Amino acid sequence: MAGSTIKTVYDIFQSMDYGPTSSSTATAQAWLEHQSGALGLFIDGRFVLPAGRQTCSVTDSSGGSVCTTVCATDEDVSLSVSSGASGFKAWSALPCHVRAKTLLGLVSGLQRYGQCLSELCDLAQSPSSFSALVRLLQYYSGWAQLRDTLLPDWTPRGLVAVVVSDDCSLYSLMLKALPALAMGNTVVVIPGVETAIPALLLAQLFVEAGLPAGVLNVVTGNVLSLASTVAQNPLTSYVTYSGNKNDGEKLCRATAGMGVPVSLSISLGATCPFIIFESADIDSAVDGVIETAFKKKRECQWLLCVQESVLDIVVARLKSRMAGMKSVPLQKEGDRRLVDAAVEEAQQQGATLIQPCAPSPSGASYPPTVLCGMAPSCPCVVTPPPGPLLPLLSFRSQTEGVTLGKDNHAVLCDQAQTPTTNTPSLFTLRYFLSVGSVWVNSHSVLDPSLPLSGHKESSNCTDGGKEGLFQFLRPSSSSPSLPRSSPTSLDYSRFGTATSAAIIPQGPDSSSCPRSYLQYVGGKQCKSESGSSVSVLAPDGAVLAYCPDAGRKDVRNAVEAAIKVQPGWMKRSPTDRAQSLFTLAKALEMKRRDLAASLHSQTGLSLEEVDKEVELSIAQLYDWAARCDKETGGILPVPQSGSALSIPEALGVVGVVLPDSSPLLSMVSLLVAAVAMGNAVVMVPSPKNPLPALEFIQVLQSSDIPAGVVNILTGGRDQLTQALANHSVIKAIWYWGSVEGCQYLQHTCASPLKNLWLHCLEEKDGGRVWSQPPPSLLEERWRRAVQWKSVWIPTA
Amino acid sequence: MSARNPGIPLDLEWVSKVRVNTQAVLKRAQQIPGRNKNKKQWQAAWLLRAVTCIDLTTLAGDDTPGNVHRLCMKASQPVRADLLQSMDMHDKGLTTAAVCVYPSRVADAVKTLKAANSRLPVASVATGFPAGQTPLKTRLEEVRLAVQDGAAEIDIVINRTLALTGQWEAMYAEICQFREACGEAHMKSILAVGELGTFTNVYKASLVAMMAGSDFIKTSTGKEPVNATYPVAIVMVRAIRDYFLRTGHKVGFKPAGGIRTAKESLVWLTLMKEELGDEWLRPHLFRLGASSLLADIERQIYHYVTGHYAAYHEMPMA
Repeated sequence: MAGSTIKTVYDIFQSMDYGPTSSSTATAQAWLEHQSGALGLFIDGRFVLPAGRQTCSVTDSSGGSVCTTVCATDEDVSLSVSSGASGFKAWSALPCHVRAKTLLGLVSGLQRYGQCLSELCDLAQSPSSFSALVRLLQYYSGWAQLRDTLLPDWTPRGLVAVVVSDDCSLYSLMLKALPALAMGNTVVVIPGVETAIPALLLAQLFVEAGLPAGVLNVVTGNVLSLASTVAQNPLTSYVTYSGNKNDGEKLCRATAGMGVPVSLSISLGATCPFIIFESADIDSAVDGVIETAFKKKRECQWLLCVQESVLDIVVARLKSRMAGMKSVPLQKEGDRRLVDAAVEEAQQQGATLIQPCAPSPSGASYPPTVLCGMAPSCPCVVTPPPGPLLPLLSFRSQTEGVTLGKDNHAVLCDQAQTPTTNTPSLFTLRYFLSVGSVWVNSHSVLDPSLPLSGHKESSNCTDGGKEGLFQFLRPSSSSPSLPRSSPTSLDYSRFGTATSAAIIPQGPDSSSCPRSYLQYVGGKQCKSESGSSVSVLAPDGAVLAYCPDAGRKDVRNAVEAAIKVQPGWMKRSPTDRAQSLFTLAKALEMKRRDLAASLHSQTGLSLEEVDKEVELSIAQLYDWAARCDKETGGILPVPQSGSALSIPEALGVVGVVLPDSSPLLSMVSLLVAAVAMGNAVVMVPSPKNPLPALEFIQVLQSSDIPAGVVNILTGGRDQLTQALANHSVIKAIWYWGSVEGCQYLQHTCASPLKNLWLHCLEEKDGGRVWSQPPPSLLEERWRRAVQWKSVWIPTA
Repeated sequence: MSARNPGIPLDLEWVSKVRVNTQAVLKRAQQIPGRNKNKKQWQAAWLLRAVTCIDLTTLAGDDTPGNVHRLCMKASQPVRADLLQSMDMHDKGLTTAAVCVYPSRVADAVKTLKAANSRLPVASVATGFPAGQTPLKTRLEEVRLAVQDGAAEIDIVINRTLALTGQWEAMYAEICQFREACGEAHMKSILAVGELGTFTNVYKASLVAMMAGSDFIKTSTGKEPVNATYPVAIVMVRAIRDYFLRTGHKVGFKPAGGIRTAKESLVWLTLMKEELGDEWLRPHLFRLGASSLLADIERQIYHYVTGHYAAYHEMPMA
């Protein structure tokens, strides 16, 4: 560095500046040189460098080329998938303790090459904490050991594709790959640009440390096209994605209809509130702001929310703390223009700036900037620009503060140290913030033992903790619920728009006029908005009854009714909910004759069989009433000081499209699983067998379940599926239906993101799933009905 | 020295609103050492800066005019002249910030420094150091006598009994009296943080001491089980910043007790730079209370200049 030769001791003695920092990358360079600067694909335990492939050059922070990676072709993908599939046979057959030992062995491998790994991460501009990776490995080797003991009758899915977007961190990648391995799956990793090099190194050193060949393959190239090629391959069992929202949606659309489940963790780009209450330790809070908000690479856009009474103090602290800060390099070429435009626009709307220095007239860096006096409606809050900008909003009261809370995470700065007075309020606050993790008086601490699910539209699966393992497992007793298929050419804009066959008068000869049933919305029986009906046929083909032909408007009404009552239902204590479910069970016992009769006339089954189905339905209600207050979260042991709470929360409104088989039992089983955990449901009975569900309305009305928690709409399955899929309030859809319906949902529910649980009609021995569900299936039902929130509470 | 802190009337509402988030402070304290990665001449320059902030101290029962004389001479030429020469620092008037002794030794120190034509200030601990458990009358008299003997700075200990029982008015009143007794001499208030229990209490005591007109607040006497730690320092310097933002008066900070290595002194400077800024890196707002620290710094500078690690006997003794 030029300055270092000129600056004398006396100069520095006067100025007291920090010296230049230099970091060596010698070890990483040596490894890259050993690979001749061109990294291949990692398939079947070794690097392969197929000839004639396009390559992609990875650059460091100064724009220099670090090395090249290969852009894999379809041929390479199928090689890696078949290597993974054959690796699965051996890996999944190993006893748990052997797998655990292998994973634990990787820790020492990681430690041996820690220097090389962290230098490579620096070179690839993907900083990652070495100790966090070690913790991940240790944590999941524990789960590998205990899988059969603590998760009996669950089986690994098979070959799992772990896909991350270009800007995703190595930690997020490993948070997917390691639990998959620990549960006995094999993994094909499709890393993004930033994680490609470290992922390749990890794969190599894992194999060196004893991971069998084929268990972990790494394929580099264009993430999205590779991911859909992998998903297309019938040997792939599951695709899981972490990264930004945009690519996630594209991945969902690209893989719709392939019959492979895809789940997304949108770990990047969310807007997260940093809330400072008046009772906070302002200095520490401001420290936290400075530390999190202005990083060059940040996983989410922070939004600073400050209670009005301490606004001036916070602003003064920010000013003095930011005084010496240097400009932050921007990530992309065109970012500077966007940043300038956003700041100018904010200023025109009256925002004042806190900046350590004026921005240099041009160039790819920008000083950390707080935009004071913003409102939630300002463009830079709604669509956050890149760069080190931090919008600051003020709020009046605690409740107002938490309603500003949005996406993934939130930091609450409130009174520390005195758990006596204020902490109860914190515990109630967590109910209001619909976010996946809340850090009280701390920030950005992560631990794999904590389950994280995205709330609102940020994810449809859970990562971390025991809860996060289930995405890599399936109940041993059931086969995968989707058949593998190629996507059909489905016109997504026309799905579910066909109208049902109109009913016309049949003439005077029908001696007994079929009964007209009503549907159930917001606790009231009603006709459909359109007023039209469809006929329900008996097994012999005669018209048995008429039921409403519901459509978009009816779904809207039902969702309105459900969302009005759901928060109250969720907040009722579990014991309270259990009591209501007991009344439902009792009401069904009272009306068992009516239900049996309708089942009989609908399905044509013998009276004995229908009696049994009613009996099993009653049993399900008792079962879930009992479960209500048993399935809870708790305090988790984490390595950091303090404690972390993990809490299961209801999803919100769940749309359920019911199967044809066991019409009463299947409906009751799914209804009660969702409702017991605090959700409200909008149910669509099978168009073939809707009568038991419509008869069940009488039971609902004579129970204690609040009006609106359960809504039942009848009509065309496709029409109602289409309507449910296009309603943003609905957080999850449980679907039993056609292959096209599954494809449509996978495609449409990418944005806004919904949790999907898809089943095609042609399931084998479908009846047994309902009449004798194994424990793992019941567990799966309740896990499908909740999302996880974690709350970090540092203790003194 | 710069403008003094005139103090303000006791503001109990301010004191009562103090909140300290212990975990956040501990986390911050862990990060501070990593901020300074200085090497070569940067490290040497920072070490020399640390030297200028040292209150070279001897507080022992066996202090005699002889070892106080040696201490004063070392304070006025803290680093070997040949080492300074090679860094071109020999003519910059480098001395420690002050010497710090017991009241009975003030006269010896003043005499030595006068004979050596040094303008180095003499600091004296007072007010029943270290426990402060003597009657207020004698504590006040002790201050007056030390000032009379020529002490330019007085390190007083606060009454921990009052702080622990939350009698902030009484503590404020006592410190005000000390300040008056100090007259022109600058007053450093020792909070004895190891005996204050919680961070919140440390913050409150810091505020009250500053409101009563302390020119410096100092962590500890060096005689408590827990002395100057980084977390507690963060709490205190935040109180200093808080006080500055509200009143416009700058108060200095002095960690003392257990600071022995050159590396630690660099962390202390980093902490001040990170939390309060460059102005608090000068002796008028920052002191390091230490006795054996200087020898270690001198060895590090020897290493920078010569490339060898020195033995202790190669450094002139204090």
